[in-house]
This record gives sequence, structure tokens and C-alpha cells, in this order.
Amino acid sequence: MSASKSRPQWVLPVLIGLLVFAALPAVLASFDRGYFYQIANLALIFVLLSASMHLVTGVAGLLHLGHAAFYGVGAYTAALLTTKLGLGFTWTLPLSGLVAALVAFLVALPTMRLVSIYFAVATLAIGQMLYLVMLNWVEFTKGPNGIIVTKGLELFGFSLSGRLATYYTVAAVVVLCVVAIGRLSHSYYGNALRSIREDDQCADAMGVRTVRLKMEAFTLSAFFAGVAGSLWAHMTGYISPGDFKFSESILILAMVVVGGLGSLPGAVIGALLLILLPEGLRGLGDFRNIMVGMVMFLSILFLPKGLLGEVSALRLVRQQLGAAWRRTDNGIGIGWR
Amino acid sequence: MDLFDPYYLQQLAIGLSLGMTYALMAIGFTLIFGVLNVVNFAHGEIYTLGAFAGLVLITAAAPPIAAVVFAALAIGAFAGFSLERLAFKPFRRFTDEASLKSRAMRESTLLSSLAVSIVVREALEIVFGSQMRSVPFEYLINTPVRVGPVILVTGDFIILGVAAAMLIGLQYLLTRTRIGLSIRAVSNNPLGAKYVGIDTDRTIIMTFVVGSMMGAAAGILVGLYYGAIFPAMGFVPGIKAFVAMVMGGLSSIPGAVICALILGISESMATTFVSSGWSDMVAYGFLILTLIFFPNGLFGAGRERV
Amino acid sequence: MTLRLAALTATAVVGLSVSAHAADVKIGYQLPLTGDTAQYGQDFRKAAEIALDEFKAADKPFKVEIVFEDSRSDAKEGVNIARKFVDDKAIVGVLGDFTSGVSMAAAQVYKEAGLAQLSQTASHPDYTKISKYQFRNIATQAQEGPYNAKWMASKGFKNVAVIAEQTDWGQSVVAGYTEAVKAGGGQVAFSEFFNRGLKDYRSLISKIERAKPDAIYTGFFYEDGAQFLKQLQQLGVKTPVYSTSAAYSPKLLELSGDAADGLHLTSNFLPTNPDPAVQKFVAEWKKRSNGAEPGQFPAQAYDAVRIMLAAVEKAQPNPTRESVRDALAQTKDFPGITGKTTFDADREANKELTKVEVKGGQFAPVKE
Repeated sequence: MSASKSRPQWVLPVLIGLLVFAALPAVLASFDRGYFYQIANLALIFVLLSASMHLVTGVAGLLHLGHAAFYGVGAYTAALLTTKLGLGFTWTLPLSGLVAALVAFLVALPTMRLVSIYFAVATLAIGQMLYLVMLNWVEFTKGPNGIIVTKGLELFGFSLSGRLATYYTVAAVVVLCVVAIGRLSHSYYGNALRSIREDDQCADAMGVRTVRLKMEAFTLSAFFAGVAGSLWAHMTGYISPGDFKFSESILILAMVVVGGLGSLPGAVIGALLLILLPEGLRGLGDFRNIMVGMVMFLSILFLPKGLLGEVSALRLVRQQLGAAWRRTDNGIGIGWR
Repeated sequence: MDLFDPYYLQQLAIGLSLGMTYALMAIGFTLIFGVLNVVNFAHGEIYTLGAFAGLVLITAAAPPIAAVVFAALAIGAFAGFSLERLAFKPFRRFTDEASLKSRAMRESTLLSSLAVSIVVREALEIVFGSQMRSVPFEYLINTPVRVGPVILVTGDFIILGVAAAMLIGLQYLLTRTRIGLSIRAVSNNPLGAKYVGIDTDRTIIMTFVVGSMMGAAAGILVGLYYGAIFPAMGFVPGIKAFVAMVMGGLSSIPGAVICALILGISESMATTFVSSGWSDMVAYGFLILTLIFFPNGLFGAGRERV
Repeated sequence: MTLRLAALTATAVVGLSVSAHAADVKIGYQLPLTGDTAQYGQDFRKAAEIALDEFKAADKPFKVEIVFEDSRSDAKEGVNIARKFVDDKAIVGVLGDFTSGVSMAAAQVYKEAGLAQLSQTASHPDYTKISKYQFRNIATQAQEGPYNAKWMASKGFKNVAVIAEQTDWGQSVVAGYTEAVKAGGGQVAFSEFFNRGLKDYRSLISKIERAKPDAIYTGFFYEDGAQFLKQLQQLGVKTPVYSTSAAYSPKLLELSGDAADGLHLTSNFLPTNPDPAVQKFVAEWKKRSNGAEPGQFPAQAYDAVRIMLAAVEKAQPNPTRESVRDALAQTKDFPGITGKTTFDADREANKELTKVEVKGGQFAPVKE
């Protein structure tokens, strides 16, 4: 511990930053394979999805079975804004998040009082209903025909559709969002959410406004999922309801649980694992998905708290990412003890 | 609108029979959930395994239908036992207080059962292929039967009979026998049950065996009813059974059955008024409404909210 | 100076080697080999292997390899595979995917990279409009709908109920048929979509019957079709049913038994066709699948692979992605087992359709 204490707190963030913005792009560029870029971008999008679900399921402890639907709402918002209003990525990125958050807020109004498994089944129903809307409201969403998104990634009219530019755009958005989620979950706000998870009645009695907090967490998480949806829509150029069905929600849930419930680094690792593994196992042919299931099973068997469990993740964050307890110059204590 | 229009009677009958197929699955699902308090994602695969076991026996030996159901029950019992050993037992090795309190530990079986279900489904797809397999016609239980203005099939009566038998048998088991008593005790308070000398491990295995036998029986019956057996067949009824269980209030098996019927009827009735593609919307909308007005389910008693 | 010389020699050598013996190439095939739609992908792979083995047996001066990649009918995997194929410089043409959704998503990649994509099944109306690199070897509903509408009108059906699965293909079934009926002055009594994989059609059937149509026109694949027909029989409904070539599979008969009797449908492939090419394929297929007969889709895949192989051969001795695309676009009267295939200016294959009726548990061609 003493060794790590002596290490300055900016080391890990800088290392991660270098990895994501310098080392990885350098490796990608040296291979110059569209396939690797694609997988890197896809993995990043799912990192964001998994991190956003972490906020609800990991931190606030609410089993969310409909997350993919908000991802879909974001993607559809981006696609419809592009095709109907001609807006570019610059505008659809925030708007997708906002629309997904708005939809989440509206459906959350009546349902956020629910607890435990009742909450889970309510999110399942909400997810399925949103999916049915995407699939069946043909006049508006073009239904199963899907939408061709005519505009690629761009920023204020400046095209970012090259391989490296796409990677940097996706990486920048995802890192920004994950940092924001990290700030939310490693703060007093995150602690309040954790108190709901541990004992909501007790938290209520202590003056934590549980229903409001749940609603905020749910809405925020939908916002980030919506952002991920807009990235996917502009990156692929074509979306259809099949991309956002129930099994995608389960995939994202599996990422959060494999990584470790309540642990943001875990959610990131889980997403990387479950996106990279099926691609890495392509050599196994028809058996690869059995292997994916096996790896999931063995990882949870030996590490039931996840690949990077909450306790170790929190320790890591506190010591390495500048959230540890310290005194400011005027003697006020901030951070975590 | 004439309510006694035979059309509505027919839709009602269809809805009831659809609901019965959900109910068959919901019974075992609810039993297992009640004891462990976690979602068993692999229940749908048990259902599929039961159907395939029956199919394999039919193609291999062409035995009487009772033997087919018996084979499904045996496979179900075995699958339930293995599932518990593989995906649930290992996570009871942590008995320290920190682990018991940890959310991640509690939810880990969610993923282990999901992983097992993925492996089982993929294995079935490799062994049997993912196409629908037909059942020899003499085994099908869908000969039409006319009851007044309504047309039903023989399978409706068989499924009704089996579901009723399951429900009554289970209620008897749970309330009148020792094992049932211990199941209820473990479901109510696992630690307390342990302290008063109940072998919780054995009880949980028994629950899995009984619940999975019911799941497998449901699988083969529904397979014979629709005449199609395929690896993904457990998915949709699994979701519906889950929804029915929660609507019914988790702890109440009759509640789950009633809610499964409500789901079936609302789906078939909804087809009258909206396009068939939207009919699930009505079922889910109904679920949300139920949860808003009865946050603990329709038949849920006061329950630990963990 | 030396550099330039080296470059010159290099070109000369390359040029020489090309003219001396033709280049070996690879073809990518993306298809669902696992997951819920694996049965289709597995059939396509089998058909492609038959086509490739025949090609190899013909002793051509160059070698062709087909790279199969599993997409699980999942768009994200489909796009990954597309990128992978584009990276492999030896791949000069791509086949697949199965569902339109995945094909359309992957098509965005092929469009950008300039790699020809020939799908055996993608039926989305906009698929071939994506770019000049998208081809398909399937009769679209813009063709099949009017054909069936005419057929049904000739039988005197004026009031027809139309149902189809809720997919892009199902949408095109209803649109293609409805437009044709309206153009002919008829009317569609009822049209509705159901979710693919719905098990219980009885509610829908009761609803259709309440509208009292003369006939029912359906857009379904064989799984849904078998359930629909069986339940139609259970409810004692005698209204004639017409369907598209997508339902043409021996598995439909296997799953539905005598409930399929009287079903009218179109097809562009008949395993009973005496044409030796068809018989050769059918015999080979039966050998590789325990005596089961091939349906419409494997036949389309077989033809798609052969069309692609022919294009690659035509592009020899120096096949590039661009020349393979051009060769593909020039495909004219290709003698396939699903009839003669010609790609029109929109890269659509115009197929000849045959009328078929199910009689006594068999698909039997009908004249009128």
C-alpha cells in the first residue's frame, strides 16, 4: 500500500488516457485493418452502454432488463433527425441522449416506486413496449425496414468519417461519458444511490429521497445509452429494430455482472470481454458461442463478485483516481475516507 | 357489441388455452423463485430439454404418450438437479456476512444460470440444429373438438388437466408434506430454516427437481400441442412466465397461474382491436398498470423486500 | 532511376505472371451459422459447398476458396465480418447475409469499400439501391406480388385478406400485392402483420374469418406457415390460402402434414424439374442431408454462389473487386437451377415464377 500511496494520483488516469488516445490508435493505425477499428469502436460503444447500466444496476442496485430499448431510442432519434430534419451528428449526439432521457423520465414517473424484482419486470415490460413501437409503428420508425442513416460522423460540418477520426470521435465521446459516470458513482451522489441498494427503507428513513434518486439514476443512464445509440446509428449507417431487442439488454446486463456489480472498471472490463471474446473465438466455428457461455460461467464461478469486484474497484478508484480523502489547504476534508 | 357473439367466445377460449401454456411454465418457475429469490434464466432451457427428450424418445421407440411425458419428467428432474449443482450450489459456499450482504454475490446466480442457459441452447442447436422439428402426427394433441359455438383442441383439455393436477399436487406438497413444509420454511427465511435443523441444501435440490420436472413436462406438452420443437422454444414462454409470476405477486403459485391466464386472454382479445403485432403491447401495458396499482403484484402478500 | 527501373520490372513480372496463369481468389460468405436462424445459414453453407466442389471438379486454371463467417443474424457481428472481408485483399466478392437487416448494415461497409455483395435472400426494397455494389438473387415482391395477384384474380377472388410477418420482407409482401390488386381494380379486405415466431395464430385466424375474405394471401416462412396452416385446419377454416416462394420448403410439408393440402404458392425452383442441372444438385443435396429434399432458399444460395464463381471466372486473368463487380453486373441468362438469371440495371435478378399447389403432401406444379 505504501508504494501505491507514494505514487501520484494522476498516474493511472494519464496511463489510461495514453492507452486510449495514443497507444491503441497507434497500434490500430499500424495494422490499418478496418476490422480492428470496427471492433474497437463497437467495444467502446458497449463500454458506454455497460457503464450506463452500471449506474442503475450496479450502483443503485436495480435490476434493469430493458436497457437496450433506450439505446434504441437514442439510435432512432439520431436516424430520424438525420433523415427527416437533415441534422448532423453534432446535433443528434446530445439530442439522442436527451430524447432517450425524456422517454426514460416519462416511463419512470409511474414505475419508480417499485422495488427489487417488480422493478426488474417493469423495466422488462418498458423495454419490450419500446421495442414493439420501433417494430410496429411503421409510419414513423419505418418499422422492420429500418432506417439508412445518410450522414456519418461529423463535428460542425467537419467530416470525421475516416478510420482514425471515427475512432477518436467514438473514443472521445465514450471516455467523456464514462468519466462523467465515474464522477457520479464515486461521489456522495453515488453513495446515496448505494444506500438505496443496501437498504432502501433505511435510506428513506435517513432522509435520502429514494424515489427521486432512482428516477434520476434511471434517466441519466438512459441519457448515456441514448448517446451510445447515436454513435451506433452514425457509425453503421443503418439501424433496424433487431439491433435493440431483449437479448441485447441481457448482453449488457451480463457485461455489468461479469465485470462486477457496483464496479465501474468492472463494467468496462466486462464490456470489453463480451465484445472481444466472440470475435476472438471465430476460429472455433460453430462452437464459439458455447465457449462464450463457458467463459461467462467460469468467470462468475471463480469470481462471483465479478472480474473486478466493487470493493477492489473502489479501492482502486480512491487511491489512483484522485477521490481519496485529503485535506485542502484551509483544512476542509474532501473525498473518501 | 354483442358480448355473446361466438367470435368473442372463441377468442376467449383461445386466450385461455394460450394462457394455460404460459401457466404450465409459470408454476415451476414460481416454485424455484420462491425458494431462492433469484431469477432462474435457465428455466426456459429446462422446458426445451423436456421437449427434446420427449422427441428423441418418440423418434427412437415410439412409446405411448404417457411414457413420453415420463421421460420428460425424468430428464427434467435430472436437469434440475444438475442445474442446481452447477449454477446455484457453488454460490452458497460463501456464508460470511459480507458475502451474504453483497449485492454482487446475490446476483451472481443470475449470470451463472444465464451462462448455463446459453451453453445448453447452443449445444442443442449444434446437436439438433436450430430448425423446428416436427412431431409424428399420431402424437399430436391437437384434434379439434367443438364445444357449443367454440372450437377447441384435445390438447386444451389435456393441458388444463395437467395444469390443474400440478397446481393441486403442488399445493398438497407444499402444505401437507414435510418436504413442502421445509420448502416453505427455506423460502421464508433460509437462515432460520437452517437453525431449526432443516437441511436447506437438500430442500433447495428438491425444489429444483420438482420445479424442473414441471418445466420439462410443460415443454413436451406444449411441443406436442403445437407440433414443433426447436432450441429457442423456451424463450417467449419464459418471459411470459416471469411476467405472470411477478404479476401474481411472487409468492403465490395460484396467483401466477391466474395472471398467466390473464396474459393469454389479453393477448388474444387484443388481436381483435389492434394488429396482431401490437398484441404483446397490451399484455405488457396490463403488467405495468398492475404494478402501478398493486406494487406487490395482484396476489402478493407482504414480503421481505430484498 | 534504379527505383523506377525496379518498379518497371515489378510491373512487368506481375503482368507476366498474370497472363501466364490465372490468379487464385477468395470469396467471402457471411451467414448465420449459429443462433435462431442458423438452420438457414447451415443450408446455405451446404449449398455453397456443393457449388464449390463442382467448381473444383471442373478443373479450372485457378483456385477459389470460400471463407464462411458466422453473423448470428446480428447486425453488429455482420458489420464486423464485413470489415474483416474488406481487409482481406484476396476477397474479390461477398455473398450474404441472410436477413435484410444484417445485409443492409453490412452493405454500408461494402459500398464504402467497393466490394460486390450478392445476397441470396435480402429482400429489402432499398437493398440494391444502396450502391452499385449490391446484388441479389431473389425474386422481389414487386415481381411476385403482381404475379400472385393476377393468379388469384383469375380464380375469381375479389376480396382477399393479406397477412405477413412483421419484417421488411413481410412489409414488401403486403405492399407488392396490395399495389397490384389496387392497380387491377380489386380490393384488399384486410391486411395485418404478425410477429415472426408467433406460436398461436388462432386469434388472428378468427379475426380474418370475421372479415369473410374469399382467399387469404400470406407472407411467411415455412415455420410460421406450418403453424398457421395447422391452426387453420384446427379451426375448420376452408378459405383458400396463397403464399409466396419463401414458404417453398419440404419442411413446410413435414411440419404441417395434411394441413398444407390445397396451399397455393409460387416458386422458382422445383426439385422435380427434369433439368439435369437441377437433378444433379438435388441428388448431391440429398446425399449430404440424409435424403431430405432442398427447398427454395438453398437453391437460391447455390445459384448465387455459382453466379459469383462465374463472375470471378469472367474477371480472370486479373480479377479485382471492381472487375468482379462489373462481371457480376453483366450476368445475363445465367442458367441456374432457379431459372435463368439476368441482372437488370438496378442489379435485381428477374426470376421466372412457377405456380405450385400442395396436393397429397407433395408440391405439384399447376398450369393455370
